Order: sequence, then structure tokens, then C-alpha cells
Amino acid sequence: MLRKDLALGPRSPLFLYAITLPVVLTAVFQLAFGSLFEPEPRLAIVDDGGSALTAAVQDRGGIELTVLDGAAELRRAVEANDVDVGLVLPAGFDEAVRSGEQPPLELYVSGESYASNRAILSVTILDLVREIEGGTPPVAVQLRQSGEAGLPLAIRLVPVLVMYALFVAGAFLPASSLVDEKVHGTLTALLVTPARMSEIVTAKAALGALMAFVMSIVTLLLNDSLGGNWPDVLAVVLLGAVFASLLGLIIGLLAKDGAMLFTIMKSSGILLFGPVIFYLFPDWPQWIARIFPTYWAIDPIWRVAVLGDGLGDVWGSMVIAVGLGLVLVAVVVRLSRRTLAQLGTAA
Amino acid sequence: MRATKGTTMTGPAISVSGLRFTYGALEAVKGISFDVAPGEILGFLGPNGAGKSTTIKMLTGQLRPSGGGARVLGIDVSTDDPELQARIGVCFEEKNLYLNMSAKENLEFFASLYGIKDPDADGVLRRVGLADRASDRVKTFSKGMRQRMMISRAFINSPDVLFLDEPTDGLDPATAAAIRTTIQEEADRGVAVLLTTHDMFEADQLSDRVAFLNAGEIVALDTPENLKLRYGSRSVKVRLREGDGIREETWPLDDAAAATRLGALMTSPDLLTMHTEEATLEHIFIRLTGRGLAG
Ligand SMILES: Nc1ncnc2c1ncn2[C@@H]1O[C@H](COP(=O)(O)OP(=O)(O)O)[C@@H](O)[C@H]1O
Ligand SMILES: [Mg+2]
Repeated sequence: MLRKDLALGPRSPLFLYAITLPVVLTAVFQLAFGSLFEPEPRLAIVDDGGSALTAAVQDRGGIELTVLDGAAELRRAVEANDVDVGLVLPAGFDEAVRSGEQPPLELYVSGESYASNRAILSVTILDLVREIEGGTPPVAVQLRQSGEAGLPLAIRLVPVLVMYALFVAGAFLPASSLVDEKVHGTLTALLVTPARMSEIVTAKAALGALMAFVMSIVTLLLNDSLGGNWPDVLAVVLLGAVFASLLGLIIGLLAKDGAMLFTIMKSSGILLFGPVIFYLFPDWPQWIARIFPTYWAIDPIWRVAVLGDGLGDVWGSMVIAVGLGLVLVAVVVRLSRRTLAQLGTAA
Repeated sequence: MRATKGTTMTGPAISVSGLRFTYGALEAVKGISFDVAPGEILGFLGPNGAGKSTTIKMLTGQLRPSGGGARVLGIDVSTDDPELQARIGVCFEEKNLYLNMSAKENLEFFASLYGIKDPDADGVLRRVGLADRASDRVKTFSKGMRQRMMISRAFINSPDVLFLDEPTDGLDPATAAAIRTTIQEEADRGVAVLLTTHDMFEADQLSDRVAFLNAGEIVALDTPENLKLRYGSRSVKVRLREGDGIREETWPLDDAAAATRLGALMTSPDLLTMHTEEATLEHIFIRLTGRGLAG
């Protein structure tokens, strides 16, 4: 049965949609919100006198440093936005600073660079210059993080993308496959053979879970968010995939035809995407996300795959997700029975 | 599976008694009873809405009877027993095939549901004249070809009982004839066939016995010959030369006056042709129910 669904799958446009969607979305989001793979501010330095500042930038990390030979080359790099900021350190710069001379410092800033990158670079440079001077800073700065670990938007978008993969492959695929069988009457044809309704429904769920699993892993891979621990990531993604396919079965069993399927899918979008919106807006009260049942399936993926936590950190969410999953199974069983009873009398 | 046929099957293959079904307030099948023996074709003849499909749906486990009961191959149809489903073949009124699969894939997939490892899909397709289209998607098939697919799918598990709901409805005469031949072949192998139709010729030609179904009730059930003998009046149509023209006379056969007249005509030089006209099943249906088979 599953083999048939897998064989039939590639012939349906929806299947192709499910496969290409995460890739396309990832590409779109990366274009729109900046590249995930080069999130660091880029600094170019022309160092004529072997300044300690160059070495200090290297040590500090978090900054992509390019050392160039001449000011002209540097200006070109800045103009081309190959770097965010360019810095020329004349010979004897360090000595001049230490003697309190206040030497001029030429900073070239790319007009296309992100303001955040400029700010980070200028503050870092000033800080490092003060270090060379050897003076004590006038204030003691205390860093306090606000928001979810201050993650870039591109990272916070990953749950949205994974949810899409789960939703389209895990829920939409089995739901539409089930509705298809109802609309074309093939479900009735299956049911006069020794095949049981439970087998048919299980095959659809397996199809959805398998596809959702593969597509979520692909999405995480594309977004460079596979955490540290492979087995843990696979476990949380599998849980999410099964969860999504159960939702898909419920939707597929409820919908009588394609039009109704789309209506249900549209109105259930808020249920599915509700929680992931909160990852995008860390300032919102995060507890609201927990009201959504889908939160408990996506949160372990977020924490293990994206943030790099271990299973030990998310077992609470996972237990709740499994519990909710069992409730979904009970609903699926009820709806299957109802569908079976209605099938014969459906005109 | 085959071993049970004819050898251990002693009773009827289908046995129905007092079977009823109501859709809400509408009583679609009103307590019907009949048997079908192995190797027998029972034709259910009735107009649209008579309750033919509802009866088949109950016998194949798609609908649970509202009353009465039925056994197929000795198994109660309301038990939803996979063992029974393994031994029946069903051809639905609506064509429900996988359009995106090829003819062969359709058959092989359904065979797999019966646990048949090595199905003879090509052989079955050859029987319905679709062998050369085996690897084409059903989507590309004409209505008649799809109907032949429906029949071939009902055959794929070599069933002991066949339920065929209007298997030739809307087909061209050649295709219909081909399908009837394959149905007859199945019956000759010992398969019990319950076939519904609103085509009196099909019922007459194919059925060992015919059940007239009207408004959920069986109003008559017998061999076509017996039905005609009992309810139909045969007549003789005579054509005579009369001057420059031709005159036609029709005489009922069971009439004493007719015998005298016909005897006289036999020797008349004006007699051109004389042939008996059989009552059709439709005539009898109208006589019994006051309505025809159409609509
Ligand atoms: N799903 C249904 N809901 C309500 N009434 C139905 C349904 N299916 C059939 N009927 C009614 O039951 C009667 C018998 O229908 P059916 O068994 O399909 O007749 P046939 O197959 O002889 O044309 C008809 O009056 C029909 O309108
Ligand atoms: Mg019908």
C-alpha cells in the first residue's frame, strides 16, 4: 500500500511541490534576510606597521578579517561591498596611540553594508584601540542579553521553514492522498478487498511521516542547522514528522472533497504556524506559543537541531508531544470509523 | 482458494433472506430473499432507483443491512470478514480506478491487496482485450476501456462470487458483447454471478435466472423462459397479400379463435410470412409493475 502511494506520489504535482518547497523557501528567505552562511561582519585592514590591532581583531573572532596591501585595493573592496568596513593603519600607529597623540584613523564604510555590521565593527575597533593605549575604560560595561539569545532573523526563520516542510509533506500529502481516494471512489474499491481501513490510513500516515522526515532534514541541512548531535536531531525530527502526518490524516478524513480540504488547510494554518511566528518575534510573550499543540512538536526541533541542545533538555516537550500524538491517534481512529460508515451511503 | 469451489461448496454461493436497507426515511430495499448457486448467473433487472446497487453494496460489505441477513460463501456479510472479501470480485457502478497508474499497475496493486505474489495481469487484460494497452495510464482510456478495466479488476483474485453492478451500462454493442462473453466464461468455471442491469436483452441473454426488482421489492424471480411462459403472451404475426398491398394480422397464441384462423391461413395462397413474437422481459416487467425499465 505504501509502495503504491510512493509510486503514485511523484506523478502528482503536490508531491513535487512538497519536495521543492523547502529548497525554494530557503533560497527566498536567504535572499531577503541576508545570507545565513556569512553572518559575520567583514573587516578589511591595510596594516603598514604591523599593528597589534590586526592581531587583536583576529583573536577576538566573530569578525571576518581580510588583510590587504594597499589603500587603493581596500577602497575597491569596500566599494564592491566585499567587506563592510575598511581600515587603514599607518606605520607607527600603535606608538602614536600609546604616546597619546590621537592619530587620525581612516575608516571606509560600504554604503551597502548592514548598519548592524558597521556598528559592531566601529565599536570593536574603538575598544581595541583603547586596549593598545593601555588605559582603563571610563565605564564598566555589563552585557545583558534580551530576546532569544539574540539570534539573527535568518536563524529564527528556520522553524518556519521546517514547519512548512512538515506541513506540506507530512500533513498535506497524506490528507490530499486520502481525499483523492475518497473523491475517485478508489477507497471503496480498496475496502471490498481484504485491505482494512486501518491499513490504508496507516499507509497514508507512513507516507506523510517519511516525506516530512526527509524534507525537514533537507531543510535543516540547507539552513546549516543540524545541531551537534545527529541521533538527537533525527529523534526530534521524527517525532515532528509523525505528529504532522497524524494532523494530515485528521484533515484528510474530515474533508469530503478537494475544495473542503483546501478550506480546512487554510483555516488550520494558524494552528500550524501560530507557534513558529513566536520564534520570529522574541519580544512577544513566548508562553502564548505553548497554547498551540504544534508548539510541542516543533520546539524540540528548534532547540535540538537549531540551538544545539540535547534530548535531555527537551524531553519535557517531547513527552507532551507524544501525549498529544496519542490523542490525535484516538481522533484518527474515531474519524476512520465514521468515514467507513459514511462511505457506503455517500451518493 | 479455488479448491472450495464446487467441491466443498454444497449450498448456495449467495443466500439472502428478508434483506432490508433504509436511507434515513427512504426504504430502498424492502425485505428481499433469493439464492444464487455456484456457476449460476442471477440477473437483477430493474429501472434506476429500484435498489439494485443498494443490494450489491450490502452483499459486498459497503453497507450494513438495516434488517434481514445475507450469507456469501456461507459467511455472514455483516461481519466484514477479510476471508470473505478475499473470495469475491466486485465491479462498481462508478468507475473507481487509479487514473495515474497503468492498467497493469492497477491490477498488480489490487492483486497485492489479496496477497497474490505473481498476478497474471497480462492474462486478465488479454481476456478483456486490453493487452496492448497494459502499460498505458488508465487516464488515457476511453469509457469502454475503463469499463473493461473494471471487469478485469473484479477478476484479478479469481473470485468464487462476482458482483457486477451494471457492467455494460453505456457501452457500445461490441464492447458489451465482449464483456458478456467473459462473464459467461466465469460462470462456466463455477463462479456465482450476481449482475444488475436495466437492459432486458442483457438480462435475458446472460442470466440463468432473472429477478425483477421494482421499488425495493422482487416482483418475480425465475428463468427468462419461465417468466415468459408464465407472464408473457406469445403472439403470431402474419403478413398477407391483399390486392396490391400487404396486410398484417397479429393473433395471440393462447386463443382458440386464433388457432382456427391461423389454420385456415396456413393453406392460403395469400400468406407471405408468419412468425411468433415472444414477449420481452420488458413487456412482462411493465405488466407486473405498471412501469418500464427506462429512467
Ligand atoms: N446515498 C443515498 N442516500 C439516500 N438515498 C439513496 C442513496 N443511494 C440510493 N438512494 C436511493 O435508494 C433507492 C435505491 O437506489 P439504488 O440502489 O442506487 O438503485 P439502482 O441501483 O437500482 O438504480 C433510490 O430511491 C435512491 O434514490
Ligand atoms: Mg445502481
